[in-house]
Amino acid sequence: MALESAIHAEGLTKHYGDVRALVDLDLDVYPGEVFGFLGPNGAGKTTMIRTILDEIRPTAGTASILGLDSHESSVEIRDHIGYVPGDLTMYPNLTGKDTLTYFANLRGGVDWDHVDTLAERLGSDLTKKIGDLSSGNRQKIGLIQAFMNRPELLIMDEPSSGLDPLVQREFQTMMREVVADGGTVFLSSHTLSEVQRVADRVGIIRKGKLIVVETVADLRSKAVRRVELRFDTEVDSSVFETFPGVRDVVVNNHHVVMSFDGQMESLLELATSRYTLEDITTQEADLEEIFLTYYRDVDGS
Amino acid sequence: MLATVATKTFRDRWKGAVIGSVTLGLLLIFGMAVYRDIDLSVYTSLPEALRAMMNIPADADVGSIAYGAIYGSYGALTLAALAISSGAASIAGEERKGTIGLLLGNPKSRTHVLVSKAISVVLLAAIGALIMLAAGLAAPSMLSVDITGIHVGALMFHMFVNAVFYGFLALAIGGWTGSGATASGVTGGVMVLSFIGVGLLPVVSGLEDISKVLPWHYFNQSQPTINGVDWGHIGVLFAGIVVLFAAGLVGVNRRDLKSATVGVALIDRLRENRITQTVAERLAGSARVSHIWVKTASEHQGLVLITALTMFLIMGVLLGPMYSMIDELMLSAMDQFPETVLALFGGGDMSTPEGWYQLETFGMMAPIAVMVVTIAIGARALAGEEAHGTMGLLLANPISRSNVVLQKTFAMVLHGSIVGFSIFAGVALGSVLGGLGMNIGNIAATSALVTLLGLMFGALALALSAGAGRVKVAVFVPIGAALVSHVATSFLPLSENLAGYAKWSPFHYYLSSDPLNNGMPWGHAAVLSALALALVALAVVLFDRRDLRQTG
Repeated sequence: MALESAIHAEGLTKHYGDVRALVDLDLDVYPGEVFGFLGPNGAGKTTMIRTILDEIRPTAGTASILGLDSHESSVEIRDHIGYVPGDLTMYPNLTGKDTLTYFANLRGGVDWDHVDTLAERLGSDLTKKIGDLSSGNRQKIGLIQAFMNRPELLIMDEPSSGLDPLVQREFQTMMREVVADGGTVFLSSHTLSEVQRVADRVGIIRKGKLIVVETVADLRSKAVRRVELRFDTEVDSSVFETFPGVRDVVVNNHHVVMSFDGQMESLLELATSRYTLEDITTQEADLEEIFLTYYRDVDGS
Repeated sequence: MLATVATKTFRDRWKGAVIGSVTLGLLLIFGMAVYRDIDLSVYTSLPEALRAMMNIPADADVGSIAYGAIYGSYGALTLAALAISSGAASIAGEERKGTIGLLLGNPKSRTHVLVSKAISVVLLAAIGALIMLAAGLAAPSMLSVDITGIHVGALMFHMFVNAVFYGFLALAIGGWTGSGATASGVTGGVMVLSFIGVGLLPVVSGLEDISKVLPWHYFNQSQPTINGVDWGHIGVLFAGIVVLFAAGLVGVNRRDLKSATVGVALIDRLRENRITQTVAERLAGSARVSHIWVKTASEHQGLVLITALTMFLIMGVLLGPMYSMIDELMLSAMDQFPETVLALFGGGDMSTPEGWYQLETFGMMAPIAVMVVTIAIGARALAGEEAHGTMGLLLANPISRSNVVLQKTFAMVLHGSIVGFSIFAGVALGSVLGGLGMNIGNIAATSALVTLLGLMFGALALALSAGAGRVKVAVFVPIGAALVSHVATSFLPLSENLAGYAKWSPFHYYLSSDPLNNGMPWGHAAVLSALALALVALAVVLFDRRDLRQTG
């Protein structure tokens, strides 16, 4: 029987006293995709993950993982998943090898050739004690631990923290491989760029509410960018202010800075048709700006 | 800066000091109320050395006996333990948490930090001592007991200086080694051994002077309750404090600070050595992480080893031959004790070897030894992993929460039993070596009972650990419960009116049937086992229901 959802949440709600950490969250993560779970710090990403893993219990709502109830069948579920907690801590007195052996024993064995391959790909030294490792190298052990049992579903809470860019790229390849083999990846992150590189779809959470779920392609087309243009003469702000997709224009002599969420090509056409463009810098807008865009959309509709 | 660091350290720990000293204050009031009801004339006929051992002055009256029995032992030990825990945590604790780098990122020297940590140790001891002093002065007026001629203030001053001494010993060791466990372990060991030594040595003629090398001697051997402050003895302690502080300063300034403590155990060195590598790898590596219970057990092996060896050698084997060396005079004096008074000291009648072992080993030290191990494991079992942030990762594996609780429980039972067995083996061997002819079966029964008692309090720690997820709660509540229970079992039977309440105290099911003479009280053993099992079951239920705490 083909699964409809690798993760299915229905009205998932978690309150800590007066604090609403999760509000009525509905979500489906489909088998065979990398799902990016995006939100600023404190948005409820970790609460969501801890809830579906049965570390904490929902105030209301239910969740299922791989078709099994997240509370009733939590032990069985954990047989099929790999997990990297946010703020990963392990036993400082154990070596990487000891740590992996411990978890392998709790899982009833693991393919050690696979573990060695993973360690090699990430450049991880398993003979050192966890406490003697830098945080990035500790994170690698956490990743190996999650990948080593060839899980059907990987749930990872900000897993790339502390990893250098080369290792991050290898890690992204590993995630795509899992998906290529029919597995599913649930990746929480607060950086859009990371999620964009690897995910098929993205859910954005803010203040405990799931604001939107979109494909990465759609999100990218909507994504606001900060664009800074430098011309050889003074420019008139009204030229840009009226252009669709442009907001918050600030002109300072030869410089124009703006937020833009349309087609870059058309903006460049506009700019070069009037003036001589000397330099251009564009920056991915930060998450908060994207959220604001979405809020504007939500409010508008 | 000085004030900032001192205040923060103080703020982190003042609650423990207040709760501890308020508890002691209440116990004092309770003890004084009980003593008021009984005939004290028997104390005056005791030989001098014995009275010294029991902290009872020559012209014993209600007040001085109550201060001596409650504050002189329980109170002084508690206050010193508080000072030790804050002293040990000072530098080493910040290193373990990895916060020392951040702290020293501020433009202040290590010396500054150590000085402020030292100030907070002194402050904590002072707060504790002041609260106990207040209770000590309030108790007699509440109970209309005459305390003319008793120097409560002097006793408290001695207790305070004594506590600071041990706190600074822990501070100095922590400063040199950077290991909080070493600092509190070694200092706690020195404190307990010197407390025992000062009690034991004067009983044997010829050994009295040896006790002068023990720091505890300078706390109470001058009888400050009766004689006021002994500035000579205080001077000795104060000199010790100054030396220890200087040693701590040198230690902290000379070495590399650790970023986060990774203990290098003997087994790690063996693993690095090529010759021993294979064997060590098998012991430390694959075996240690084969199951949750093995890993839990291995984390506490040092504590268990030291506790078991101490109980076996000192409280067991050594005491056998020592019994044959005790003054005849003292033994005959013991005959005159009424049972109610003996009950106070664990019910030991020293005219028999059974009574001797009961007084010295089984009455107080054996329960403490088992409980140190069972409460440590029970409290850390679940809450410890939560505090370290490893519980989420552990439970990401396909094992149920109850499985985790039961495996941790098994590790606790295993280690508690090892300590219990070491007590049995030590006392049995001591009896053989000293030619005392004690019944081996009865020694086994008593050791089994003390193990069950310890496991019961360990299970209480486990249940709190499971329910609250906080190590501190799970450590201090069982210790408090054990203290109250021990005092209640010792004191309640002294008063005819209150004797019936003793059966509500777990300690009652340990020694009240005199198992060293009468053998195993199966009913009592069943009560303790049932309590322990019920608490473990409670732990399973509580842990299964609860939201796991996040790191921190």
